[in-house]
Order: sequence, then C-alpha cells, then structure tokens
Amino acid sequence: MRNILLKELKLSASFLSYLFILFGFMFFIPGYPILCGVFFVTLGIFQSFQTAREANDIVYSALLPIAKKDVVKGKYLFVCFIEAAALILMIIITIIRMTALADSPVYRANALMNANFFALGMAFFIFGLFNWIFVAGFFKTAYKFARPFVVYIIAAFATIAVAEALHHFPGFELLNAFGSEHIVLQLITLSTGIITYFLMTVFSYKVACKRFETIDL
Amino acid sequence: MSIVEVQNLVKKYPSFVLKNISFSVDKGKITGFIGRNGAGKTTTIKAMLNLIRPDSGTVRFFQKPLIGNETEIKKHIGYSTGTVNWYPRKKIKDIIDSEKRFYETWDNEAYRKYLDLFLLDEHKTPLELSEGMKVKFNLLLALSHRAEVLILDEPTSGLDPFSRDELLKIFSELKKDGVAVFFSTHIISDIEKCADDIVYISKGRLVSAASKADFIARFSANGETLEETMLRLERRDMHA
Repeated sequence: MRNILLKELKLSASFLSYLFILFGFMFFIPGYPILCGVFFVTLGIFQSFQTAREANDIVYSALLPIAKKDVVKGKYLFVCFIEAAALILMIIITIIRMTALADSPVYRANALMNANFFALGMAFFIFGLFNWIFVAGFFKTAYKFARPFVVYIIAAFATIAVAEALHHFPGFELLNAFGSEHIVLQLITLSTGIITYFLMTVFSYKVACKRFETIDL
Repeated sequence: MSIVEVQNLVKKYPSFVLKNISFSVDKGKITGFIGRNGAGKTTTIKAMLNLIRPDSGTVRFFQKPLIGNETEIKKHIGYSTGTVNWYPRKKIKDIIDSEKRFYETWDNEAYRKYLDLFLLDEHKTPLELSEGMKVKFNLLLALSHRAEVLILDEPTSGLDPFSRDELLKIFSELKKDGVAVFFSTHIISDIEKCADDIVYISKGRLVSAASKADFIARFSANGETLEETMLRLERRDMHA
C-alpha cells in the first residue's frame, strides 16, 4: 500500500495537486463563498488525473506486481491524501476563526457562510461527492474523465449554493453560528459530513474496483 | 519445461475475434510471436498480462493461473513495448526509484550493467530518448528485477539494424541464464536469427505453435527464407 501511494505521489501526481491544497486558505476570506476552496482543491486533484493519463500511468500501474484493484486503491489513497491535507488546513483555519477571530467585525458582517463546523461538514461532503462522482466515474473507462468531472462540477456548485444560502432561510439560521454557539448542532453537522464522506468514498472505491476489473486497457 | 501456458484464449471485439489461441513458452527458450499487423499479437499479449479480460481461456505462469496469482506472478515477469512512453517528462532515475520498491528481487548490479550496456543516461526523461533508446529503457525496467519470463511486444520495431542485432544478442545471453523470452514482431529476420520456437497467428487464429525447425519443415518450400514463407502464407490467406 505504501509503495503504490509513493508511486502516485512521486510519479503520477501533478504539482498543481499539491499547490491547490493552499486553496484551503480560502476559509480565511471574508465575504467569499469559502466552500469554493474545496472545489479548487479537487480541481488540483483532477489535474493529476490528466497528467497521469498523458503518462500512460494506469497501464504502467496495472503492469506492476500488484493486483488490479490495487491500481484503484493507489488512486483513492492519493485522492484521500490530498483531501486530508486540505481538510487539516481548513480545520486549523476554522478553529482560528471560531476562537481568536470569532468576534472579528469582518467576519461578523459576512453575508455568506461563516467558517464553522457546519462549513467543515459541508467540505467533507463535497470531497465525498468528488470521490463518488468523479473518481468512480473515471474508473468506468480508466480513460475518459470529462463527463464525470462535469457532473461533479454541477453537483459541487449546487451543494455550495445551497450551503451558502441555507442560513438565510427561516429555521436554518443556527447553521451560521459564530465561535462555540450551538456547538452541539455544529458537531452533529460535522459528524454527518464526515460519515457521509466516509460512506461515499468506501462505496465509490468498491464500485471503481468492480468497474476496473472488467475494462480492457 | 513450459513456464507460460496459454489455453483456448478467446477475445471478441465488434470487428475482430481472437479465436482459441493456445501455445506454451519454455524455460530458457526464445519464442517468436509472428503475424502481420492486426493479426492479434498485442491482444494476446495484453490478455497474457491481464490488461484485457478474455471472453474465455486461461493463462498460466509457473503452473499457476494468472487470475488469483497476479501479484506473485508479475514479480517474476518483465514486460516491454517499443511503442509506449511511461511518464515522458519524469527522469529515468525517478521512474526506476519508484519501480524498484515493488520488486524484492530488484538487482541494482544488473540495473547498472544494463544501464551501461544500453548507454542510457538516467538523468534523461523518456521524452528525450530516441525510439530505440525507449525500447532499451523498457527492457532495462524488465531486466533489472531478474524476470524469469520476458514478454516483449515488438521490441525491435523502430530500432536500427545495429541496435536490433545487439538486442537479439542480449536475448541469447538471457536464454543461457534460463530466462524465457517471448517476443512479438513482424520482422521475420529477427525470428530467423534467434528464435527457438515460433507462434504464428493470422486474422486472430493460431496457424502454428511449434519449434522453428518444425515450422520450417511444415511450411517452407525448398530454399525459401522464413520471410518468404511467411509472405507466401499470408498471400494465400488473403486469397482464401
């Protein structure tokens, strides 16, 4: 498992996948739809799929002394690695905004979504969508990625729009909590996001393995 | 002793069918896999490497079926193709560093030996290599983990006559070490020079799988070269 991840990190990955982790810093930007940062991180991962295709990476990997499903595992490990790195950055920034910057006027006057545990839960959810729609979709052919990426873009931006607007609707105001306000609700939404991410990733991995076994390279 | 056995391999595509291909590859022998372009050589090789899923048939290496023993078997086989570029913009050294982690049998000494022999610069990228050097780079990957079977898809295509001759000599050296070499080609003179056995396919069906001597005895007319025999057989097939 370590070897295939190292191969993904050193040979298959595009530099942009690493660089775009920094879009996690968008969680600091006031008056901006911060969940777009999550999308940009996945855009960076998408670049690695492009680079890998140009380098015949999938066939190269399938020829290594590993089972065919380990080729899929390598891609998922890489994707989750980048997502985890971005999430760690987003978690740190969210905690700073929830503590030291909780009363900062620029954030208090923010019409858009506040960086709190609900936002983090939504970040997990969008990463889950990427794994479920794009990564599993790519393994239908291990070659074509335009369609799954377009479907993912639509799903991701629809999710971002709903998440950013939700607290303006009656009954959902609490989702825009500052600091430790309504902390139980915040933690429930975060936990839901994490569980959904986990389920979407595991489910899509199993689907991708099945698909990859049946395709001709 | 057979270390590769292909039995009744069938693969159906909308416009092409690979029909019941069966042959074996023996330890310490060079087997030439011949047939014109589009005969099904690459499809067969891909099925042997589990890159494509055959509709029926089995592939066995070292008396074990490939399916279910893929990881273990692939540690002992090497594959090379003259036409594919792996990671064209990565340095050879970086590709090697990543690849060798997968093989317990990786032999740094053999790697250095073939690197020098092939005059490859490990600081170059595959993109900077000529077609012939790309073949040698692929061979370097295959030879450095002491593979017992080499499966090579048109390794001599695109090589100049000198490099081809050099490569055929390497095959003969490997054969002495007990390595089985299975290589596809449409350059019949290469087969004439070094192959022990010949597997010949045409339009997706097996014409013959036999020793070179048996093949010549069965198909060659008096004084014909192997190439002339092949041409005659293909022409006959076209008009059939």
